Parts: sequence; C-alpha cells; structure tokens
Amino acid sequence: MRGVLDLCVLGALARGESYGYEIAQRLEAGGLGSIAGGTLYPALLRLERLGLVVTDWRAGEGGPARKYYRLSPEGTATLKAAAADWAVFVGNVNAMMEVP
Amino acid sequence: MTVDDWLAAFAAELRRRRVEPAGLVAEAAAHLRDSGRAPLQVFGPPTAYAVSLVDSLRGATTELRRPPSGEPRLAAVRIVKRYGRSTVLDGVDLSVHAGEVVAIIGANGSGKSTMLRICAGLLTPDSGHVRIRGTIGYCPQEGGTADFLTPDEHYVLIGAGRGEPREQARERGRTAAATLDWPRSSGSPVARHLSGGTRQKLNLVLAGLGDPDVLLLDEPYQGFDNGSYLDFWQQVWRWRDAGKAVVVVTHRLAELDRADAVLDLTPRSPR
Repeated sequence: MRGVLDLCVLGALARGESYGYEIAQRLEAGGLGSIAGGTLYPALLRLERLGLVVTDWRAGEGGPARKYYRLSPEGTATLKAAAADWAVFVGNVNAMMEVP
Repeated sequence: MTVDDWLAAFAAELRRRRVEPAGLVAEAAAHLRDSGRAPLQVFGPPTAYAVSLVDSLRGATTELRRPPSGEPRLAAVRIVKRYGRSTVLDGVDLSVHAGEVVAIIGANGSGKSTMLRICAGLLTPDSGHVRIRGTIGYCPQEGGTADFLTPDEHYVLIGAGRGEPREQARERGRTAAATLDWPRSSGSPVARHLSGGTRQKLNLVLAGLGDPDVLLLDEPYQGFDNGSYLDFWQQVWRWRDAGKAVVVVTHRLAELDRADAVLDLTPRSPR
C-alpha cells in the first residue's frame, strides 16, 4: 500500500500546498481513514528526496513555524501519469469482477 | 511517556544515526500539538520512527550499490586450503577494488574466516596466491586486544607500528571510537574489563588506525546492540567513500544489500 499512499499524498497536495497535519486531515476527509504520522512523514520525506515535492519552513498564523509541502513540476507529472495508470487498472479489476 | 520525553528520545535516535534532528523534531512536535494525541499513538516508539525516517531520507539500500570504479586493491586467485583430508577452500577467487565493499558469506565451517586470514597474510594457502596493493587493516572475530592495556595504550601501540606519533594515534583512536557510540566510562579500564561488544569496537578502531587501503573485517559486530550495528555500517560506507577496499565476513544474509558484491563460500555439492 506504500506506493498508493505516496500517490494519495501527491493527490492531496494537488489541492494546494499544505503541512503534515493538514495533509493527514485531507486524506481522512477523502475517505482514506486516519493516516498515522508514523506512516505519513516517511512518505513525505521519500517524495521530497525523489524531488516530487518541494518544501519550505514558514511561520503559521500566530503559531510556530511549519514545514509546507507543495508539488514540484515532476510531482505534478508523476501524479498525472499515475492517475491514468490507476484508471486503467481499476477498469481492468472491475471488468474481472463482473459476474458474466 | 510524556511528549517531551518522547521528543527527546526521538532526537537522540536521529543524532546517533547522524541525522540533524531539529527539523524533524519540530515537525513532529507541531503535529502532536495540532492533533492533541499521544506520541506513541501517532508515531509509535521513537526508535522505530527514527529508523523509518532515516530509511526514507537515504533511500533503499540498493541505491547505494555502485559499480566498482577504483583500481584493484586485493586479488586472491584460485586459493586452495585443506585441513587434513578436508578441503575447506577449493580454488576460490576474490577481487576487491578501491571504493568497493565485498561481503563473504557461507555456512559455518565453509571457510569464511580462513579465506580472510589468507588474504591478511596470516595463513598460507596450499596453493593459489594473494596480491595486495597498499596497506592492510585486519579486524579478527575475537582476540586481537591485549587484556592489560587500556584503549588509549592500544591506539599508541598499534599507531606506532603504522608510523603514527603518540598523540596523533590517541586522537584518531578516540575520534573513531566516538563514532561507534562507545559508552563513556569513568577512568580508563584495561581491555579485559570491557564488555565483549566494546572490545570488538576497540578491535574495529584498531583495524582503521593508520588509514590502511584494504580493510578485512571478520564479523566485527558480535555483541553490538542494534544502534552500534548501524553505526558499524555507516563506518564501512565512510571507508568505501574514502576509496578503501573493504571485505566483511558475515553470516547475516540481511546484510547482502549493504555490500557491492558477495562471495558465497557455501559448497555447491556435498563433500
């Protein structure tokens, strides 16, 4: 499921830049259940190392500094390609499961 | 475990893996504040969380594999060794280049340590030959330390044999020991009062003194805890990045990903 989570995180960031806790909330709101920080942050670091997201630290409104993540051009391209692959995959699985 | 305790333990685990903790700790603290939940629930135990972050940062170990680029440092050709009627090594070849790590694996009794001792020149093969370009550092599986000398005295003694001045040998020894997470102790105990794991760390430090070109390491992490074990591999990779040729005898198959090449001495047919 690790690869799928990475893609979902890219998808969450396609809705605009964000920080860790808010990304977790977007995923949960998207029906993916509660994603533990222990799973989310390693995924974010991985995406950062691969250059699919870029980050910067910024002070929040009245709060402490936060690390913000946003899609890089490579991240956007990867998400687009993966979404197409995923649609084909789901179509195939659905077709397989149809009872003749 | 309070939030502060958890964050402190997490920072310590990152530091011992040589990752600057500030950013990762601040991010975890912000998440805990936002969510209002317990750190163990959100991130799990600090050690496991630190390990998975470090893996994400450094990438899968396979990414570390690189083709050998340096010149050949060690070439062992058609090595044969018999003990009585039993042939332990039957025409074994091994070549190691500068900037390369080779793991020697095989079942118990398959001749791993024998092969390493032949490469080190401590044992004569029945036939075949070994060619070494440069100097050698050898870390035996056990022994290799003198019971009644302190670690500092070891550094000076071994350093002298490699032409290092007293002070320099002591400094280098202490610096290398610190990177292996050597427990700080009061006074300076002689080697026979050190734990088995610490004696092995001493052995490993001694192997690297004098900056040898070829490092021959015989399961040098017996008695290491898991953190020290990771420190050991970090040291091996530093040696590799510095252009050393490194041979590690091991029985842990999980380590194969950490090496550039593998020599398997498991006999192909029953003898």
